[in-house]
Amino acid sequence: MKEFDYIVVGSGCAGLSASLELAVNNRKVLLIEQHNIPGGCATGFVRGRFEFDPSLHELCGVGSEENPGFVREMFDKYGVDIEWNEVTDCFRVISTYSDGTPMDVTMPAGKEAFIDKMEYYVPGSKPSVNKFFDLIQNIEDGLAYISGDEIKVSEIIKRYVPMLRSGGYTTSVVLDALDMPQKAKDILSVYWSYLGVDMEKMSFLHYASMVNSYVKLSAYFPMHTSHEISVKMVERLRELGGTVMMGCRAEKFIFEGDKCVGVETNLGTFKAKFGVLANINPDIVHGKMIPDNLVPKREKKLSAARDRKIGGRMFTAYFGLNKTAEELGIKDYSIFFVGSSDSVKEYNSLKRISTNNYVIMLCYNIHNKGFSPEGTSVVSFTTMFTSSHDFNVLEETEYFKLKNMMAERFINILKDKAGIDISDAIEEVTVASPYTFARYLNAPEGGVYGFETTQWDGVIPRTIEMTMGLDYKIKHLYTIGTSGVRGDGYSSGYADGQILADRALVQFEKEGE
Amino acid sequence: MSLEFKVKTLGGDLKRFVGLITDRERAIRKAPEKEINPTFAINENAKLLHPDYQKMIIADIIDHSGAESKTFVFKKADGSKAAYFRAGQYVSVLLKIGSSLVTRPYSICSSPNEALEGIVKITVRDVKDGFAAPYMLENFKIGDTVYISGPEGTFYYEPLRDAENVVAIAGGSGITPFLSMANAIKDGTEDFDLTILFGSRTVDNILFKKELDEIASECSKVKVVHVLSNEKKKGFENGFINAELIKKYAPEGKYSIFICGPEAMYRFAQKEIEKLDIEPKFVRRELLGVTKDVSSLPGYPEQAVGKVFEIKVIIGENEYSVQGKAEETILTAIERAGIPAPSRCRSGECGWCRSKLVSGTAYIPAENDSGRRFTDKEFNYIHPCASFPTSDIIIEVPGSFMQ
Repeated sequence: MKEFDYIVVGSGCAGLSASLELAVNNRKVLLIEQHNIPGGCATGFVRGRFEFDPSLHELCGVGSEENPGFVREMFDKYGVDIEWNEVTDCFRVISTYSDGTPMDVTMPAGKEAFIDKMEYYVPGSKPSVNKFFDLIQNIEDGLAYISGDEIKVSEIIKRYVPMLRSGGYTTSVVLDALDMPQKAKDILSVYWSYLGVDMEKMSFLHYASMVNSYVKLSAYFPMHTSHEISVKMVERLRELGGTVMMGCRAEKFIFEGDKCVGVETNLGTFKAKFGVLANINPDIVHGKMIPDNLVPKREKKLSAARDRKIGGRMFTAYFGLNKTAEELGIKDYSIFFVGSSDSVKEYNSLKRISTNNYVIMLCYNIHNKGFSPEGTSVVSFTTMFTSSHDFNVLEETEYFKLKNMMAERFINILKDKAGIDISDAIEEVTVASPYTFARYLNAPEGGVYGFETTQWDGVIPRTIEMTMGLDYKIKHLYTIGTSGVRGDGYSSGYADGQILADRALVQFEKEGE
Repeated sequence: MSLEFKVKTLGGDLKRFVGLITDRERAIRKAPEKEINPTFAINENAKLLHPDYQKMIIADIIDHSGAESKTFVFKKADGSKAAYFRAGQYVSVLLKIGSSLVTRPYSICSSPNEALEGIVKITVRDVKDGFAAPYMLENFKIGDTVYISGPEGTFYYEPLRDAENVVAIAGGSGITPFLSMANAIKDGTEDFDLTILFGSRTVDNILFKKELDEIASECSKVKVVHVLSNEKKKGFENGFINAELIKKYAPEGKYSIFICGPEAMYRFAQKEIEKLDIEPKFVRRELLGVTKDVSSLPGYPEQAVGKVFEIKVIIGENEYSVQGKAEETILTAIERAGIPAPSRCRSGECGWCRSKLVSGTAYIPAENDSGRRFTDKEFNYIHPCASFPTSDIIIEVPGSFMQ
């Protein structure tokens, strides 16, 4: 039996970046994946003459070659070469303002352009929106500074007081304190669904980092679905001497004393010299994959405090259309159709099928003409459920009807609110429900966002906890992924895998551990 | 730095910032220390819809002697529901024949509603020089255990895509998905108009004649037209299912055409349909499997004809050496050696068998290569069920969960 330095279980975004981070540091890595394709959500599937991306709308943190973000830098470091398409607009949103008047705005990427466009839609908003961007810049710089090696309190007090004064609050409190006109706040609130919690629960620091990244660096998506990213990462891992096993499902982690030394799978038992990184939700790892007596008290309490509150159960319909975007009158890459500007109300309406009224339409062909065969286009619609309520009991006989009903609802929203009718052009259609995501990801409730990043369980408190070493009491076993320090999203997943791999390189390889 | 920001007093704001740490600690501290429950209802439901496999008992066998076929009635071994499906979908049946471990896809001929009773039926027709079908027809007996997959495939009626009227073109045992659809329409699970043009050789040869005629007489949404190729008889159409015949029975306005039958029938029907000026999206066909005569296909490398190649199969840490004939798929070679490998559609489409071709070359018929993802093609991931070895090869195959 071969011995590996590290075993990474699960090839989701975090599993892939963790594997590569370890491999570029010359460690012998075994990456196992229960499916026959890598990537978790970051994959692709084929129907007829179309290839669909099941989950990626746009990836933040990529940036241009001249002004790269951390994702591009990470991929450059690993030697993974992705063909990126830039998304030049942040979003178009069709909704209603808080005062009940209709909203239909398109916000461009780029800070100056974004601020000017906001002034155009909401005259008088410029000073407060300017201040908003100054504040999120201060936060970005401040977070970078406190993540650095040399931290001086005097420097923090001199430069980053705005970060300290805003950082403890929720997004809605900070936007109120900025004296921003309500309509501008309404427009800015659109992004809440990307993080899966409403503006009154969402940490401003988390929100600020995201907006900064999308607006400043704009967003990107790969040329050939996110399967391109995942396969290229796997292939690079092989080149770097890593071993990859597909169709390999981890059943249990194995221990010597209290130290994790490997993993038991359907293809046999594999051992790791230094440790294991599991791209699996911590409740599953701690609940059934390790002996109960090795589960730290703190993990049990953390799990109880989280109380199984899963963020982001997606419901997505994918359409292969036999007409071009132009022929169908689709001009936007993404349109957010939102019932209202009240994120709390919207969050609550997303608990149930009957009230769900929030959907994001996406047309990849707008920024990638070759995404589908000539004369065709691909459109997808995604909504999210903030509760498992309607899915806890499976009504088999209603299941396929539900899929069709939701897909039809999406088509009608596009027709009624944007005047675009795709109903006669549907050549392929597939609908993915939370069950579908649960099937392919095995993530709790099919959630793609891990545990909800509410205030106390937000990205910043999670990061601080890790830095202070309060967590991770299981020796030589880390869980990574969307419930980790960086929260949800592709780029967060890549970041999380890299951060924890770097941490493992130090912690797991300490003398005497 | 001119930026000033405040919510409350400086002290109040900073306290909130510190609260980022203390709030978390407080939330964790005050939570109870209890066992973690790793089970979630949505995930359990997902497994019911998409099980790794279903363990079935053969509850009954129906002999369609005139049609050289048998219907096997499978019942869930533990008495639970079988995975619910869409009429038209198939299951993959796992078979151990001698030292071979093979799968075969069969359309489910029973109604989705019967799955709720734990029942899944398939119909197997005898195939000359076949391997799995003769084995099942000869050896399967009531009480035997059989492992089948969950429901698979996309050959079903989709109201958002298809016309409200469907003309089905069926040949021989290709009737089975349409029998399931007809049953589903009759019991209200599906709602569309189905006109089945069913090609058989002779009247005695018609599979499910009684069942089909009964459904048609009881349900106004289902029509069945029997087309006999080898017999002229009153009340039956004669010849092959051609454009003229489709036009004769097709409804007014838009309609979809669904095809399921033997390869020869499909090739004939395809040419006939071209004469009808139907939008391509309204024509759908069930998968065909792969050709038995690969060397006749365009682009096939001549030097490979008749050869036997060395195939090194890697699954996890295990390595196997097997012999692969040029005219057989790589999957067939793996199965003959009794190596458990994942597969479902056996037509190159579903991607269940997706494997990494580490070295060597393979020939993939164009008609079986629509299911591979763009990047898979770039990095030599192939579907062994529809790939033929053209040199010695090394291939990495995923583990299987079918047992």
